[in-house]
Amino acid sequence: MGIYSVYIINKAGGLIYQFDNNIPKTEVEKTFSYPLEMTLKIYDDKVVVAFGQRDGIKVGHRVLSVNGINATGRCLEDGRDIMEMLSQEANYPVAIKFGRPRLSTNEKIMLAGMFHSLYAIACQLSPMPQSSGIQGIETDTFKLTCSQTLTGIKFVIITDPKQTGHDLLLKKLYEIYADYALKNPFYSIEMPIRCELFDTNLQQAVEMAERLGLTAS
Amino acid sequence: MTVYNLYIFDREGTCLYYHEWNRRNQSGICKTEEYKLMYGMLFSIKSFCSRMSPIDQKDGFMNLRTNKFKLHFYETPSGLKFVLNTDLSVGNIRDTLHQIYSSIYLEYVMKNPLCVQGDVIESELFQTKLDDFVRGLPIFATKLS
Amino acid sequence: MSRQTTRAVDPRKVSGELFTLTYGSLVAQLLKDYENDDEVNKQLDKMGYNIGVRLIEDFLARSNVGRCQDFRETADVIAKVGFKMYLGLTPVVANWSPAGDEFSLLIENNPLIDFVELPEGHSHLNFSNILCGALRGALEMVQMDVAVWFVQDQLKGDNLTELRLRFIKRLEDAVPAGED
Repeated sequence: MGIYSVYIINKAGGLIYQFDNNIPKTEVEKTFSYPLEMTLKIYDDKVVVAFGQRDGIKVGHRVLSVNGINATGRCLEDGRDIMEMLSQEANYPVAIKFGRPRLSTNEKIMLAGMFHSLYAIACQLSPMPQSSGIQGIETDTFKLTCSQTLTGIKFVIITDPKQTGHDLLLKKLYEIYADYALKNPFYSIEMPIRCELFDTNLQQAVEMAERLGLTAS
Repeated sequence: MTVYNLYIFDREGTCLYYHEWNRRNQSGICKTEEYKLMYGMLFSIKSFCSRMSPIDQKDGFMNLRTNKFKLHFYETPSGLKFVLNTDLSVGNIRDTLHQIYSSIYLEYVMKNPLCVQGDVIESELFQTKLDDFVRGLPIFATKLS
Repeated sequence: MSRQTTRAVDPRKVSGELFTLTYGSLVAQLLKDYENDDEVNKQLDKMGYNIGVRLIEDFLARSNVGRCQDFRETADVIAKVGFKMYLGLTPVVANWSPAGDEFSLLIENNPLIDFVELPEGHSHLNFSNILCGALRGALEMVQMDVAVWFVQDQLKGDNLTELRLRFIKRLEDAVPAGED
């Protein structure tokens, strides 16, 4: 619950900072006997559930481990191919752990760039003149709030739909960026932010906003 | 409160119907290009939201806002997409979009044997019914200006 | 230079004199290293520019100032908010060009030149040239291309210090989507 993550995107659409605060873990482990009553497929070089949702295992969930051995891509750590292994009756019963895939760093960079373009398209499609880009997106599971500074930096926060106090947090994040990234003479503008003081202050601000926002709602 | 415009897309991305009421700004590209851009944006936002979501989604993307308008989105399991742009004071109107689907699109397009699926809707009855419906909505307060 | 809002209680506040001394010794060292007034002016401008492109974010984050729609507004914001926030003084905006694309900032007590006496033979040196760079850098980040230079300098016997700003163009390419 609360604030899930923070993204900071530079003028060119590059991700210069990302922080995951509080992402709920969805993991389910279940023992199966042959034949497997769900359809799996390879997607993005990972084994995911294509059809046959059950017991909290949802379509789109990824195979995280089989019999306690972690999966890396489409194979297990010991080198066995997951799809092949699960097609052989001799390997059953088998305990498979499923979970919602976490975003990799590359995916986050890609999503940031995607948001950057969507932001610009939304203002072109505006039915009213002089519209800004996307300031908020609502879905059933999260809310995205974005503020773009006059200089073109975007601060994006992903929160629980019930969270409040977004504007205050965004303003605070901008101040922290101005203080601990820009005033650090060794930080180069437009580049990924790797400053410890920035990290700690940002985390504090996020925690604080989370507490305040939940009592208010 | 006011309603600006409405787009209906089928699952292939064809814009079946478009109508505008109080729109004040044109995108500067021809209408067919605009439909493509709108569909492309929706497609990307949907995928963006499903990847960005920290937990499993049911309805997924519902609406987006800028400082000037709010875009409401409703998709049926069959892939029909209804997009209504309004001003910012409008809250959640998922039910309204569902009504456009169930009591207007379904009645006057799906049940009309002359409407070919996947073709642009030209039925006048549909157009008047839809226009009446939207104009009768509480969120369609005509502006005095 | 601490931020204005917390100036009274900020324990990190440094003395203005220490700042003036630091800046003075920096310019003196540059003069020793480069032995050429124009080169020193250039270096100061460059440093100022680097400060400006960063300081603008601090300014925007704290001041709640929106985008300026004309150059007169920009002049006012620079004088009344910017200078006040970072140097604790408010220059007078004056000498507008007829086209409204040039104005001067008149400064009576430039804190950078407290205690400074320019030695002989440095008539080309603009001691406070860092200000020009800072203004140029900051405005460039809000998509305004400007030229900034010294017209009068109290260090050179003038009655006051006069900084001149000319609007060159709006950097349309750099305007972020959804602005304007």
